[in-house]
Amino acid sequence: MIQKTVASSAIPEARDPSLASLDDVIRVVGLHKHYDRVAAVRGVDFAVKRGEVFGLIGPDGAGKTTTFHILGGVMEATTGDVKVLGQPPRDARLMIGYLTQQFSLYLDLSIDENLRYVSGLRQVPDRQFSERREKYLRLMNLENFGDRLAGELSGGMKQKLALCCALISQPQVLLLDEPTTGVDPVSRREFWDVLAALASEEGVTIVVATPYLDEAERCNRIGLMYDGQIQQIGTPAELRNSLGLYRLEVHTLQLQAAEQVLTEASESGSIADVQTFGDRLDVLVNDPQIGEAEVRELFQQHHLQAATIDLAEPTLENVFVTRLRQQGSAPQSLAFPRSRGGNRDVTKNSSSDFAIYSHNLNRNFGSFQAVKNVNVEVRYGEIFGLLGANGAGKTTTIKMLCGLLPESSGDISLGGERGNLRSSELRRRIGYMSQKFTLYDDLTILQNLEFYSGIYGVPRRLRREKIDWVIATCGLEGRETLITGQLPGGWKQRVAFGASVMHEPDILFLDEPTSGVDPLARRQFWKLINDFARNGTAILVTTHYLEEAEQCNRMSFMVAGEIVTEGSPSQIKASQPGQLIEVITDQTQAASNLLKQQMESWRVSIFADRLHVVVDDPDRDIPNLRSRLDAANLTVHSLRPIPFSLEDAFIGVVQRSAHATPKEPQPS
Amino acid sequence: MKPLRRLIESRFWVLTVKEIGQILRNKQLIFLLVFPPTVQLLIFGLALNPDVQNLKLGVVDYSNTPMSRELVSALTANGVFQVDRAPPNEQILGEQVRRGEVTTGLVIPPTFNRDLKSDHSAEVQVLIDAVDANTAGIASGYAAQIINQFSQKLAPQSSAAIETQATILYNPGLVSSWFIVPGVLGLVLNLGSSLVSTATVVREKDTGTLEQLLMTPAAAWEIILAKVVPLFVLLLGEVMLAVTVATLVFHVPFRGNFFLFMGFSGLYICVGIGIGFLLATISRSQQQAILTSFFINLPLIQLSGAIAPIESMPRFFQILSLFNPLRHYVKIARSLLLKGSGLDVLYPEALALTAFAIALLAISTYKFRTQLS
Repeated sequence: MIQKTVASSAIPEARDPSLASLDDVIRVVGLHKHYDRVAAVRGVDFAVKRGEVFGLIGPDGAGKTTTFHILGGVMEATTGDVKVLGQPPRDARLMIGYLTQQFSLYLDLSIDENLRYVSGLRQVPDRQFSERREKYLRLMNLENFGDRLAGELSGGMKQKLALCCALISQPQVLLLDEPTTGVDPVSRREFWDVLAALASEEGVTIVVATPYLDEAERCNRIGLMYDGQIQQIGTPAELRNSLGLYRLEVHTLQLQAAEQVLTEASESGSIADVQTFGDRLDVLVNDPQIGEAEVRELFQQHHLQAATIDLAEPTLENVFVTRLRQQGSAPQSLAFPRSRGGNRDVTKNSSSDFAIYSHNLNRNFGSFQAVKNVNVEVRYGEIFGLLGANGAGKTTTIKMLCGLLPESSGDISLGGERGNLRSSELRRRIGYMSQKFTLYDDLTILQNLEFYSGIYGVPRRLRREKIDWVIATCGLEGRETLITGQLPGGWKQRVAFGASVMHEPDILFLDEPTSGVDPLARRQFWKLINDFARNGTAILVTTHYLEEAEQCNRMSFMVAGEIVTEGSPSQIKASQPGQLIEVITDQTQAASNLLKQQMESWRVSIFADRLHVVVDDPDRDIPNLRSRLDAANLTVHSLRPIPFSLEDAFIGVVQRSAHATPKEPQPS
Repeated sequence: MKPLRRLIESRFWVLTVKEIGQILRNKQLIFLLVFPPTVQLLIFGLALNPDVQNLKLGVVDYSNTPMSRELVSALTANGVFQVDRAPPNEQILGEQVRRGEVTTGLVIPPTFNRDLKSDHSAEVQVLIDAVDANTAGIASGYAAQIINQFSQKLAPQSSAAIETQATILYNPGLVSSWFIVPGVLGLVLNLGSSLVSTATVVREKDTGTLEQLLMTPAAAWEIILAKVVPLFVLLLGEVMLAVTVATLVFHVPFRGNFFLFMGFSGLYICVGIGIGFLLATISRSQQQAILTSFFINLPLIQLSGAIAPIESMPRFFQILSLFNPLRHYVKIARSLLLKGSGLDVLYPEALALTAFAIALLAISTYKFRTQLS
């Protein structure tokens, strides 16, 4: 059996001939899975070819994880035929690499020990082990950290190591269930570059689920999954075209007002959907000319500043959102039942008083300095974003700011309180949602909500109303008595958010509240966050979705424990050196590989179906760029200078600082 | 009604309801509180018996007279010794003892009967296999005692020394399980309360909800107390179960006041929970907590007198055992059950237990607040 595996991976052509003729590495026909009475998967069919990257996208609780469990042979299907490499998944598992959201590593072993353990388990011969170890560690940029403990790696590095572990036995199939959840944008890009190389160069077949739709654009084909069924399968381009809509990018300074006007209009007329993306609105219209005219007219009617409108193809995210809205599964936006009338008086008379303030904040763990001289100032009614790569020290900073971790040195004031950050009075005014695990998995949803509303002293007569609001906002009516541990990750996040705001806090700490949450629910999250800010709550939030971060009033970028840039989103974008060029070619990955050979690799990044390239001197570099792509026979559809997005700015800032000082991961 | 309403509105109540919810969901915990204590009581009570019976006796009777046979039957009469074999000579007997085939050997010389008749003192040789020192000691004691009685019966006038008339109080049948069972009751209570309370705190730490809990307005003492109360009730149930087993299966008498006993047990539950919480706050994970608890609980049990009497320990350990809360509880349990002692006698132990409970709970509350940093 083992011998066969090794031989077959060395000479892929020599595999089972019946399989080669079918050409499908994975075949799923009529798959059903029931848990007790609940049907998680209700008739799924798809096939994946060798060397293909197949994406499964869908809202939380669509049945993606269950499908992965069955493909990985961890769970039995109720009915249906599942074949991986022509065998039942359980028999094929030696040829399957499986990676989940949870880090499947031994945190008290080093990188090398983890790899050696996995390869021992999979009986990889020694010589091949050292070869592969070297190859994959280099591919993931981990080659210099061999003896570092896995527990001391940042989230992004951990996931790359987990991928290494999955690859060490050279599986022919990789199953990746939301591998990049909670991983920062820079590491996520590196991760996907590795996946692309594996699929195209080594013929590894990859099935991947992701809540990031810009990542999903990099798949060869996508299955849009909803309610236990695959609604649509196709290439990203096919899915976008099937929508039959056109996208108008509307850039305006009055985003909020414009969104309101256009959303009201979208119920009639040619506007199908309106979505805020950072500093622009995406308006989906049936006809580009009529739509643009209508938008301009609406702007005039409501005395909004004239906007710049660009016509573009719809994105996958547009497809996702529109399809789900058609299914009627968009989460409801219900007004929060306020009982205190907000915190407006605080906003007025204490403008000089910060809700959250720190000066020269430091924290050392042994000889390692996790946080260096951090200054944070957040006013009531303000949304402040603390952004940074995994391990930059964001969570440590938050823990100090809310009094969970004593600072090594520096001043902190929280809600006007300086000395005792742990008083019961103060904590009643604070809401806190940590990265994970804020709910009791062994209690029901209702019990959790009753507990948190009770402990924050929400008066008994108001509790019912607030709990009902949380349950309705999460779309969990009738399922209140479900054990929380059984909820999909994204759904748990929503309930946890509800639990942390029921007492209408003056100050709200949100540590990656939207990680692993599907795009529709994320939008709902930010509506709520904005609503709380308007009512006077000071909000400190971290996120790895930079487009969301555009909704912050101010933000700081942290690199290796230090704040390197701060300001409003537009200030930060404006302060970026150089010029950003958007390149659209017929082969994004190939173009990226080509350009990365000639420029520093951080200057080239893949954004969905296009490339963003940072150049220092546009006049000189743009013609250069074009001629290089032409020389490699890549068709360039478009090549134009565009303004920096926050994500571009983030990548630039992080990479420039990281190259100035070697990046230290933070022990957690 | 007003205080009741205040209680129901309080954070403490909310925390308690949550704890109860978690306990009810945790079938394993309830099983662990019922099944192992019962089994432990039964095993310890039935198997841990210091009495020695049916020792294998090898007899070489060169005399072979009615008198010598009478001696042998005196030895075997109360079941301590049992004649296993009768080898032809003492060399073979010695060999059998060496190989462990018999535990005790008796050699009666050919002159035995003659010596007794001629008013000489007769000698018999007893060989004892002392690999198991405890058994050997008991066997040799029995043998000496029986042979003494035998010789006194023969010549009552010659050695009319002091005759002891011991009256055995409280345990007239000298039933050893009466001694063991109340001790094991303390042992079971100690393990139950410390392990269960460690688990409830460490689980919050493992899953990360502890951080969230510390961010709520709940004070450390509220969190701790809310964890204590449901466990306290559960563990009192465990005490009742154990007492039921003790009285029904082992017929241990219950001479003291039941409520006083439950009060003392409650006090000890607080001590046990305090130990558990302290362990949980200094451990980083479930695994670490369990290993540390072995390190703490085993010496506590060994030095408590629950199984081996404190009087048989070296002096240093006897003094050390005064700092062992379990020792005091075991003493209370024995006196109260067997003697029916009341608070007038047991107040030093009661004071000690109260002091332990307050100290442990106070330290763990303090530790609880600072444990994340």
